[in-house]
Amino acid sequence: CDKGFEKMNINPNAAEKPNVDLLFTQSLLKGNLPYDRGYFYTSYLNCGNFIQHFATAKEIAGAGCGDKYAVNDFYQSFYFRYIYTNAITTLGEIINAAQAPENVNKLSATRIWKVLLMQRITDLYGDVPYSDAIKGRSNVFQPKYDTQADIYADMLKELDEAIKAFDNSKPTFGSADLLYNGNIAQWKKFGYSLMLRVAMRTTKVTDGKIPTKDWALKAIAGGVITEGTDNAVLRYTNGPQTYNNNPIAFELASQDYVTGAKGKNNTEWGKFSKTFIDFLKTQHDPRLGVVAVVWNNGVADTSAAIQQGMPNGTDKKGADFVTFSEPNPATILQYGSPLLLLTNAETNLLMSEVALRGWGSGDKAQLFRNGVTAALRNWALFGPAGTIAPAKIDQFVNDHPLTTTGNFDAQMNQIHSQFWAALLLDEHEAYANWRRTGYPQLTPVNYIGNATGGIIPRRFPYSQAEQGINAANYNAAISRQGPDLLTTRIWWDK
Amino acid sequence: SAQTTANNPLQISGTVTSAADGQKIIGASVSLVAAKGVGAMTDPEGKFVIKIPAANQANVELLVSFMGFEKKQVKVNPGQTLVNVQLEVSSKALGELVVTALGIKKEKKALAYAVTEVRGSDFTQAREINIADGLTGKVAGVNASSTAGGPGSSSRVIIRGNGSLNGDNQPLYVVNGMPIDNTTQSSVASGNGAIGLNSDRGDGIAGINPDDIESLTVLKGGPAAALYGARASNGVILITTKKGVKQKGIGVDYNSTFTVETPAIIPDWQYEYGSGQNGQKPLSQADAINAGRLSWGAKMDGSNVIQFDGVSRPYEAQKRNIKNFYNTGTTFTNTVAVSGGNDMATYRVSLSDMNNHGLVPNQHLNKKIGAVSLAVNPAKNLSIEAYAQYNIEKAQNRSGVSDAPGNVNWGTYMLGNSIDIRSLDPGYDADGKEINWNPSGFASNPFFVINKFRNNDDRKRFIGNLSVKYNLLPNLFVRGRVNHDYINLNYTGIVPTGTAYAPKGFYQQYSTASTETNGELTVNYQGKLTRDLGITAMAGGNQRKSISDAVNLNGTDFFAPGFYDPSNVVSLSTTNVNLRQATNSLFGSVDLSFKDMLYLTVTGRNDWFSTLAPKNNNIFYPSVGASFLLSEAVKMPDFINFAKVRTSWAQVGGATPQPYGLYQSYTILSGGGHLGQPLQTPTQIPSQSGIGGSGLLQAPNPDLKPLLSTTLEAGIEARFLNNRLSADITFYSRKTTNDIMQAAISPASGYNYALLNVGEMSNKGIEVLLTGNPVKKKDFSWDVSYNMAYNKNEVLSLAEGISGLQLDVSVNSYAYIYAEKGKPYSTIKGFKVKKDAAGNTIYDKATGYEVKSELTDLGTGVSPFSAGITNNFRYKQFNLSFLIDGKFGGHVYSATNLYATRFGLSKITLPGREDGLTVNGVDTDGKPFSRTFTYGKDLQGYYDNYKNLSEKFVYDASFIKLRQVVLTYNLPVKAFAFTKLQAMSVSLVARNLLILYKNAPNIDPESTFSNSNAQGFEMFGVPRTRSYGVNLMVKL
Repeated sequence: CDKGFEKMNINPNAAEKPNVDLLFTQSLLKGNLPYDRGYFYTSYLNCGNFIQHFATAKEIAGAGCGDKYAVNDFYQSFYFRYIYTNAITTLGEIINAAQAPENVNKLSATRIWKVLLMQRITDLYGDVPYSDAIKGRSNVFQPKYDTQADIYADMLKELDEAIKAFDNSKPTFGSADLLYNGNIAQWKKFGYSLMLRVAMRTTKVTDGKIPTKDWALKAIAGGVITEGTDNAVLRYTNGPQTYNNNPIAFELASQDYVTGAKGKNNTEWGKFSKTFIDFLKTQHDPRLGVVAVVWNNGVADTSAAIQQGMPNGTDKKGADFVTFSEPNPATILQYGSPLLLLTNAETNLLMSEVALRGWGSGDKAQLFRNGVTAALRNWALFGPAGTIAPAKIDQFVNDHPLTTTGNFDAQMNQIHSQFWAALLLDEHEAYANWRRTGYPQLTPVNYIGNATGGIIPRRFPYSQAEQGINAANYNAAISRQGPDLLTTRIWWDK
Repeated sequence: SAQTTANNPLQISGTVTSAADGQKIIGASVSLVAAKGVGAMTDPEGKFVIKIPAANQANVELLVSFMGFEKKQVKVNPGQTLVNVQLEVSSKALGELVVTALGIKKEKKALAYAVTEVRGSDFTQAREINIADGLTGKVAGVNASSTAGGPGSSSRVIIRGNGSLNGDNQPLYVVNGMPIDNTTQSSVASGNGAIGLNSDRGDGIAGINPDDIESLTVLKGGPAAALYGARASNGVILITTKKGVKQKGIGVDYNSTFTVETPAIIPDWQYEYGSGQNGQKPLSQADAINAGRLSWGAKMDGSNVIQFDGVSRPYEAQKRNIKNFYNTGTTFTNTVAVSGGNDMATYRVSLSDMNNHGLVPNQHLNKKIGAVSLAVNPAKNLSIEAYAQYNIEKAQNRSGVSDAPGNVNWGTYMLGNSIDIRSLDPGYDADGKEINWNPSGFASNPFFVINKFRNNDDRKRFIGNLSVKYNLLPNLFVRGRVNHDYINLNYTGIVPTGTAYAPKGFYQQYSTASTETNGELTVNYQGKLTRDLGITAMAGGNQRKSISDAVNLNGTDFFAPGFYDPSNVVSLSTTNVNLRQATNSLFGSVDLSFKDMLYLTVTGRNDWFSTLAPKNNNIFYPSVGASFLLSEAVKMPDFINFAKVRTSWAQVGGATPQPYGLYQSYTILSGGGHLGQPLQTPTQIPSQSGIGGSGLLQAPNPDLKPLLSTTLEAGIEARFLNNRLSADITFYSRKTTNDIMQAAISPASGYNYALLNVGEMSNKGIEVLLTGNPVKKKDFSWDVSYNMAYNKNEVLSLAEGISGLQLDVSVNSYAYIYAEKGKPYSTIKGFKVKKDAAGNTIYDKATGYEVKSELTDLGTGVSPFSAGITNNFRYKQFNLSFLIDGKFGGHVYSATNLYATRFGLSKITLPGREDGLTVNGVDTDGKPFSRTFTYGKDLQGYYDNYKNLSEKFVYDASFIKLRQVVLTYNLPVKAFAFTKLQAMSVSLVARNLLILYKNAPNIDPESTFSNSNAQGFEMFGVPRTRSYGVNLMVKL
């Protein structure tokens, strides 16, 4: 009585077997600050407002939660709720399907990419599901939360193993690999750069669980990205599909800086922060006109003189709203602009810090100079409106060398203020690095009804839904880590 | 003289009518008591002629009988040749037949389970657009509620409580014995993220025209519905359509109803302080827009104050905004039916047109239904019945509900209380751009939405069934039946260019064709094993196939503004969703009767499902029941006319998963990939919107098996005092095990949901139906019918380690709906104000706001207790009936009240505006705490923080409503004998006339906007209406 039933129950709109190449391409797009509000809620409204790249005048209860430090479960838990199911699961499927020895390069690339995403998750929330994660198909529906220390240890091990496992004689993802087109040498550089990023995050940790110095030096010795040609960059086009668009441009242009707003009718009343614009302006930074415009009588004006940021903690859209700087439609808001995942600006600045710490033999001043130069040059990837003349770049780096005579803190301030400026748009990473280093020194706002007592948040609260659907593991995590607050410091941030 | 007539046959004629309503009885048997074999039948006019043989012409006595009526013996006086007989409706229900599972008619007295029959005419005077909404309050144990989705939206009908955690909990609808499709087209979202076309496009039952319904039978539980197997777990509603009757000429029925609808509730906002912030009037246009939805201004003083559009107008209370925005809705329904027939064949043809102009401007719904019913007896042993209907339905601009984008109701209710809503008209500027009245582009300008949005669907539907019955022997027949339900839905939704939150717009176009096809073959035997032991036996099989083919187009950004076609969309994705499933079944039943006193029923059914893996794709469902007529067995006191006890036990199944849920599959993303590279993703839960699916993953589970629902029920029926009072009481206990639960799991598991065979849920309850006839006079009678039901629901267990199942989340996660172990299904959860051990409120030192508690229970969204009472008064030609019904013990989380508090509209935000509000309690360290909030500074923020304290907006959802009133005047058609008029009546009708009792302020507690399993959220639905009008019925 069930003849033909099995055949009937095969989905005609889907494949029964995975294609790891196609899954990998999709995971690069999806994992990367996805266009389904992930960038907007997590990176822009929260991370980017916390560290005063941006300012949002909307009410503290809504889009102003990041600007003014309030809990907003919907926005702040979004990354947690989204990224496992939309990207990590896909990576898990590839890992399952690519176990054969000839797939080792695909496996390694996948493992490296997974570390980048997992680090983003744990850096936002602290302890998160890791070893138990994405095991829903094996009936693990309530994964336990691993300590961040364990996650970090494993991520470093994963990177090390994955990089070592690359085999030039085996096939690669090829053109399905939107980052490096299957170039193994470049994947190794990317892997080591990520190792440096992961390692350096633990400089404050005193429990000895991660030998930070060893890992940092190992990464540098392995060969990190130093040339622009090796940067991890995802390229986008101006459509036709949403997923073809740069997610940052798409989110910012569709959620706040909407067509026709002309600096006045920004949906969420967002602008560049006064802190950020002042920083660029004071140093006569040539990036100012690249990143920022003021809408002057309905025209986007990049002239330095009229740029001014909006103070964080603003709660009104007054008549002066239009006079504040916002992202440049010719660069940042271009749907076809590239997305910089990990570049030589970051690696050089981190290596400068490594040298400053006296680890290894690097030249901290030169590395600093390299980093800042790279940061300015990389804007050329955004097209003519982003290109800064080499002479201007040289002028700028000459005018602002690392003051090697200063004390450690002063030099850290210089390095990481530049890091903060260089990683504009990668708000996740910039926020994590700011928490680790404390630079630049930011003056928090203390808005009525804020949830932190007027200090800049140190993490995101977990998804409220976890309290209901994964209660025991959630409770174990907060009893270990501290209350589920914006102010609780995570393991590497103590 | 007796001698002289002896040689001439005496001919007696007359008419047989029903004493209850004067209707002619066709086919009644009239026989001579004194001699067997002498008799006649009444013709279609109810007339009979009987010839009395000479031998029997003395003391003529006639026996008149008809099924469902008391037999009557009539003495004929010598010389009398005209005898008109009135039959009383049978008190013992000896002959009363009711339609049961598979459309089989059974004697009511033999039934071992509760069945309630509602006449079609109960729905045709005071009408609801969706007939299922008309069930409210009428049947004990049937919890029917319409949703606040506007005209043409779905209903939610729950019989004996929710049985499944995630499966469909609504009953199976069956027309003429065969199932139809009741799929809800587009369930509305409760939370954030809808793009602005969040409307309910109606369900399947709404496609049935009440005028075509002869009767509607509710099979409440497993025992009654067991023969439907896997689809019976939520009860079954059987609809029997009207058939033609044998008569001379053509009978014509005409029914016309016109009603007007107005909002039932106007919120009671504060009208002391006008639009503004922190006690200030707006001073600039920018201020005015910022304060567009904030009534936190100064005291209204009539002075000229600038508003959102830069125009200054008096700062005065605008109490008529709701009335000024909404239209008076109208619904005009006309049905004409012709019928007729002879011994060979009968027919009925009906045409119906329902035209609704909703109270939301520009909203329009039209439904045309044509139906044909045919019964043919081409040969002595052969009978054929056929029914077909075709619907053409058009809905324009269905209103969005719930969250603000594209929802006209949101802005209309939340507009600052000193702004006249008409000043928002037409909602767009010279360039067609939406005019902002508030700082959030997501809170749409209601006039922009009604003038520019498009939310249209066209639906074509065919329902056909054919039944062929062949009598092999007088007591053995075979019957084959097929039915086919076809729905074609074409939907276009447009968020236009110029929309504040989507300046380049969105485009949606969905075409869905779905069919439900059933073929059934049964063999039926009826006979007597001994003189006292009767048997009816049936065996058969059914094949069901359900197919749904959808093509969904989703687009973002229009190239050329204002031209709405897929060719003009920048980013377009096309998705096919093809769902196929089938169920094969074998079933049988045996009914035994002993001396018309004891009845026994046994049924069994085995179902095979295509959506499960072969190793556990079938299950057997048994049922057994007994009915015992005490009043036949024992001599009862005189005041008891009838008494029966019954009990039954059954297992049925249900909630088999959607197709393709067993194994992981992988979907290519529509739209051409990225930079020439195709993109593949683990297959997501199908969704009509979104690229590649809903963005949600469900962990595959190859081990699923069907759920089991076991019901034990017992009941008593009795009639007293010459049948003037009757009672029918049922107790039941229903337990669902192995429930297939779509558990929300931690997304860190890699999936959003898992399908698990683990849930257990219990429903226990009592149903009472009392009917009485307190007055019964020639000119005046009073009938009363009271029904009551109490259902205790408890979630017994979920998956191991899972204590709660999240069913829904409100906008911004302010409140949740859960199924939690040990608690009733659909429990509202949220946050309370945190108190210390001594009961002091705990305040946050920094903010001075109340600290919220952990996530906690705030009540159940499903009312456990419901009751309805219908009174019917007849005085001469007048008839007045009214229905009062109520539901008790449920709760509702009201987002309308939440936002009204945040925005300063609610009266609970008045304290402190004059002299400040001082709060006292303890801080988070347990030290005494006090803070004074002042209006000019921080009072607004204090009240705004209430959003985090969900308990403040959870209300008792109990209510009592005057649900329906019908005042009818029956024309004395006899006075117009020259016309062919058989009956005619004019009625004043009303629905939802008054709310007699409620506790939830500013809203109708029945205003949940979704018919999904998660019940308990209210948020900016289309206002509940009261409707009143006129009904005309003519019978020619």
